[in-house]
Amino acid sequence: MKRYDLIVIGAGPAGLSAATEAASHGLRVAVFDENARPGGQLFKQIHKFFGSKEHKAKIRGYDIGRELLKEAESLGVEVFLNAPVIGLYAEKEVVARHADGVRHYKGDTVIVATGASENMLTFEGWTLPGVMGAGAAQTMMNINRVTPGERVLMLGSGNVGLVVGYQLIQAGCELVAIIDAAPRVGGYGVHAAKVARTGVPFYLSHTVVRAEGTDRVTGVTIGEVDASWQIIAGSEKHFDVDTICIAVGLSPSTQLLKMAGADMAEPAAGAGFLPVCSATGETSISGLYASGDVSGIEEASSAMIEGRISGVAAAGKLGFADAETVETRLNALETALSALHEGLFAPRNRGKSVPLTDEGIDNSQHLLKNGYLADDEVAKYPGVKRVSGVHPIIECTQNIPCNPCQDACPKQCIKVGANIVALPVFDETSACIGCGQCVAACSGQSIFLVNDDIGDNLASVTIPYEFLPLPEKGDVGTALDRSGTPICAATVTDVRAAKAFDHTSLLTFSVPRDEYMRARFWKKGAAV
Amino acid sequence: MSAVDRTRDIGEYVPAQDDDMIVCRCEEITKGEIRRAVHDGMYNVHEVRRLLRCGMGLCQGQTCARLVKSIVARELGVRSLEDATARAPMRPIEMSVFANDGGGE
Repeated sequence: MKRYDLIVIGAGPAGLSAATEAASHGLRVAVFDENARPGGQLFKQIHKFFGSKEHKAKIRGYDIGRELLKEAESLGVEVFLNAPVIGLYAEKEVVARHADGVRHYKGDTVIVATGASENMLTFEGWTLPGVMGAGAAQTMMNINRVTPGERVLMLGSGNVGLVVGYQLIQAGCELVAIIDAAPRVGGYGVHAAKVARTGVPFYLSHTVVRAEGTDRVTGVTIGEVDASWQIIAGSEKHFDVDTICIAVGLSPSTQLLKMAGADMAEPAAGAGFLPVCSATGETSISGLYASGDVSGIEEASSAMIEGRISGVAAAGKLGFADAETVETRLNALETALSALHEGLFAPRNRGKSVPLTDEGIDNSQHLLKNGYLADDEVAKYPGVKRVSGVHPIIECTQNIPCNPCQDACPKQCIKVGANIVALPVFDETSACIGCGQCVAACSGQSIFLVNDDIGDNLASVTIPYEFLPLPEKGDVGTALDRSGTPICAATVTDVRAAKAFDHTSLLTFSVPRDEYMRARFWKKGAAV
Repeated sequence: MSAVDRTRDIGEYVPAQDDDMIVCRCEEITKGEIRRAVHDGMYNVHEVRRLLRCGMGLCQGQTCARLVKSIVARELGVRSLEDATARAPMRPIEMSVFANDGGGE
């Protein structure tokens, strides 16, 4: 039987990171994945990641995937693709399917990094073609380059629903609404805001009543839910759509761990069973680890660190790294991981209402209910200061782990500080040169450059813009406010696309002076 | 697998409006069939699966496992329920491929 020091099951962010880390300590590593391409969900992620530099913040998911793969290959990791693992047996025997038959392998250690699958929701008509998981829609768009439909309703306002919703608009679909049975937007406020300002309405406390159509989806009826999740009579609303995307969470793919006999437990009754793991991801079976989403749903950024933690632990276990090396490395990785577990979306805040930011400022309820900030509350936040001349307006109002804006500014105008969940502060005494690096660097697209007086009683607004075709200088259009409502005519005065901006173009348009604090998006053509 | 308490009274099966809704798409099993199976004495997901084959089709329960579990739990009036047993082959596989066992070669 072919033997490896480490066998990793799943070539996603956790699995590739685990393999890379272990190989860097000298382990002979094999990775098995059922897909034709490695990377798991990473290659579908076309948005810029959050976090700090060490979490690969402001790099797009697919570029992180490429980097990881290159690193794994250069370290001699063997990656078997189209090779689903069909069984995990005693003594860490791994059985994988290859094109024409099955083969048995033995891992001295095994890391299960099988990720998660999308949850589904049943309603009348849910089996009609056109109802699909948001992740499936994302695969269609970003991997297979086909749009899932023309008019789409998104059910779920967590980060998956918000990010895929935005990508649907980028792909040219019309997103008719984002709805959620919960009373508050579940994902990052900045993700919601970038969708809302394009004109997409949010319906919170709403769910799908039925999908309509006979042989495919032709429409959807949604309704408002009361406190006991029942539809309130008379609250129904209809939309003509051909696609309904479901983004109601993920379930860890724990089957292999369960089959291997690892202890499973529920964090709370009914929450779903997870493998019982040590801090390094080791299960109740010595040398068998669970890493990434399979051990509990988080973001890809955490999965990559968890993978490395299990990778170095496996290296220590087999004697490839001495205790001191392992401890130093684990400490560094655990510090990086704990930074991602802070802030408003920290695991301990899950399901809770947090009234104030760490700075003691109100967390915008308007943002949680509508997907965007109210005009009169923007100025409360430390990234928003009204001074004359060109300067950034940082509409970053929730404590999320992210700080690329701080490093982006060549003039040190923006400070987040050592605690990366702190809200960015704009220092109005520093000299902003209007370079726009911060606008492009903000993974949440929440930084705008404004100049309150460019002459002729006009002001300018520069927005991050990730849609094609790019507008051109001189194009006449309409400025939209944070809700996506047209507010005034706006002429494009500049379009900047630089390699350093990594596909986030900077669109500058002019508006009447009294509108520059409201205008946050631009659409071609006159307002209807 | 934990022992099943069959002495518990879960009441009579009461037909519901959405009983004809398909839950397991691969095997075309409806919500009503699953609910009735519980009232017929299948007090956990393993037994429901053996009786109805829900979760044993092409997707191996990727879509419906969680849905079936929640229906069974609600019918039994419990919050927590064990998942179905995980067995090889973990993914659908043609018999010709499965039989071509190269062992450790």
